[in-house]
Amino acid sequence: MTRGRIATIAVVVLLAFEPVLSPFIHVDVTIASAALLFAIAAMSANLLLGYTGLPPFGNAAFFGLGAYGAALSLKYWHVEFATAAVLGTALAVLGALVLGPFLLRRRGIYFGLLSIAFGQVFYFIAYRFTDVTGGEDGMNFSRPFLLVPSLRLRETAFYYLALVVFVAAILAFEAIVRSPFGKTLIAIKQNELRVRYLGLDSNRFVFVAIVISAAFAGLSGALTGMLNNSVGPLMLDWHQSGDFVLSTILGGSGTIWGPLVGSIIFVVGRDIISSYTQEGWQIILGALFVACVIFFPRGILGTALQLFAAKRHG
Amino acid sequence: MAEASAVPMLEARDVSKSFGGVQACSDVSLTVREGTIHAVIGPNGAGKTTFFNSLSGFYLPERGSVWFAGRDITRAPNWRRIELGMGRTFQTPSIFPELSVRENVALGVRSKRNLAFRIRPASAEPQRKLDARVDELLGFVNLGASAERPVAELSHGAQRLCEIAMSLSTEPRLVLLDEPMAGLAETETDRIMSVIRGLHDSLGLTVLFVEHNMRVVLSLAERITVLDRGRVLAEGSPSEIAANEAVRDAYLGREVLEHV
Repeated sequence: MTRGRIATIAVVVLLAFEPVLSPFIHVDVTIASAALLFAIAAMSANLLLGYTGLPPFGNAAFFGLGAYGAALSLKYWHVEFATAAVLGTALAVLGALVLGPFLLRRRGIYFGLLSIAFGQVFYFIAYRFTDVTGGEDGMNFSRPFLLVPSLRLRETAFYYLALVVFVAAILAFEAIVRSPFGKTLIAIKQNELRVRYLGLDSNRFVFVAIVISAAFAGLSGALTGMLNNSVGPLMLDWHQSGDFVLSTILGGSGTIWGPLVGSIIFVVGRDIISSYTQEGWQIILGALFVACVIFFPRGILGTALQLFAAKRHG
Repeated sequence: MAEASAVPMLEARDVSKSFGGVQACSDVSLTVREGTIHAVIGPNGAGKTTFFNSLSGFYLPERGSVWFAGRDITRAPNWRRIELGMGRTFQTPSIFPELSVRENVALGVRSKRNLAFRIRPASAEPQRKLDARVDELLGFVNLGASAERPVAELSHGAQRLCEIAMSLSTEPRLVLLDEPMAGLAETETDRIMSVIRGLHDSLGLTVLFVEHNMRVVLSLAERITVLDRGRVLAEGSPSEIAANEAVRDAYLGREVLEHV
């Protein structure tokens, strides 16, 4: 077994003990669930930012489409949990299939700006289309059962479900970025011109990366909506996209586990600090981000892995 | 193969390209026959690089057409030209700096074998064949010993060799080299020269290159096209070009002919 496999299992076992440790470390299981789901959305940002070299400033659109897709399928079709999650993810993927062709030729800041613009379009649709989406208030619902009516998801059960989904997502993510396809994405990030001069239409790869990214974000959004038993237009807002990007950079973009590290700091930190002060969180987050960029230019995990690798090579 | 060699490997017909009113090349025509080493030379600002980039799909020419093995590729995107059998290098080696030498070359091999899009890892047998092919390419440019190092750590000359191996990884029939000796020390120049000769002699490829170093041009090229102020000034064998009055005039007082 490789060093990486052992580390993976250790982290998963540690996460599995969260509900037991919760009273001692003062991290509520619901917050822990939110952090795991947030990490899936951060992974979605990481695929574009850390592995393809594109700024994903509009990934909240896919996150929100996932959330609203799940909420609407609960409202109109009264489906169970898993179906809602799948339908939400499918709506996000559909969104990417529609937006992807417009995004796939843009690079750098133009990609980022167009992503924000598309994201805001969905924000305003959700905000204005009150009859269907609930407008500014969003939609509230009670959490559906999972598969069969007897399987009700209380907070601890939800946490383990989130953990299973998270582990599946990160294993899928790892397989993708280590596959030949993932290696091509990494090459596009480093030197897209050369990728084209090796006979590959890089736009096709960018398009597929956007769709995969949307699937992760949509899954995260669908589950986050059902964790909170509500969805709202802020889930589609560009601030939300920014939070995913920030968490990714904080943890280490271009690393597999960095988004989890960043997401735990972001979600748990926000929860703890907001209980003391209202505005304080923004200031502390800002300071943390600046410190990270200065002292951990590759993010917390990215810099740690770099130091570790340097030590091993003497 | 007799019919194949009747069709030129690469043909440019009246290619013109300007940048904001500056005519970088106008009505440049050139024919590269299969199996030759062909050089494009000219004083600074003659339009060599612009012309070269029009051939490789980096720029779209405003007028004229480009033909590859009898097929009109004037508007073909750059990646499509590679698929069809062209390879190219750049003045500054275009590589993946943080990836290993092996991974740099492997990407092109996967591209050629339609493996680059796979989400599932390659199974043992194709992987072994892929590794063997990469080793073969690295052996050709003599970089086998550096296979696992990041390319960014290599010398400029070794990066150029890696780039040549990358351009070979897609199994081209024609290789375009843009100033292969740019920025190299004299000892490295000899190394690269023998590799370029090997492209022709042992791999049987057609080579078109742009170069300033006249020693390199005269010793490698079988055919030379001279550009000056965006136009073809002369074309011929090395001895014809060295004796050409117009070429001497164009270079008069400039740095290049002192090597001849």
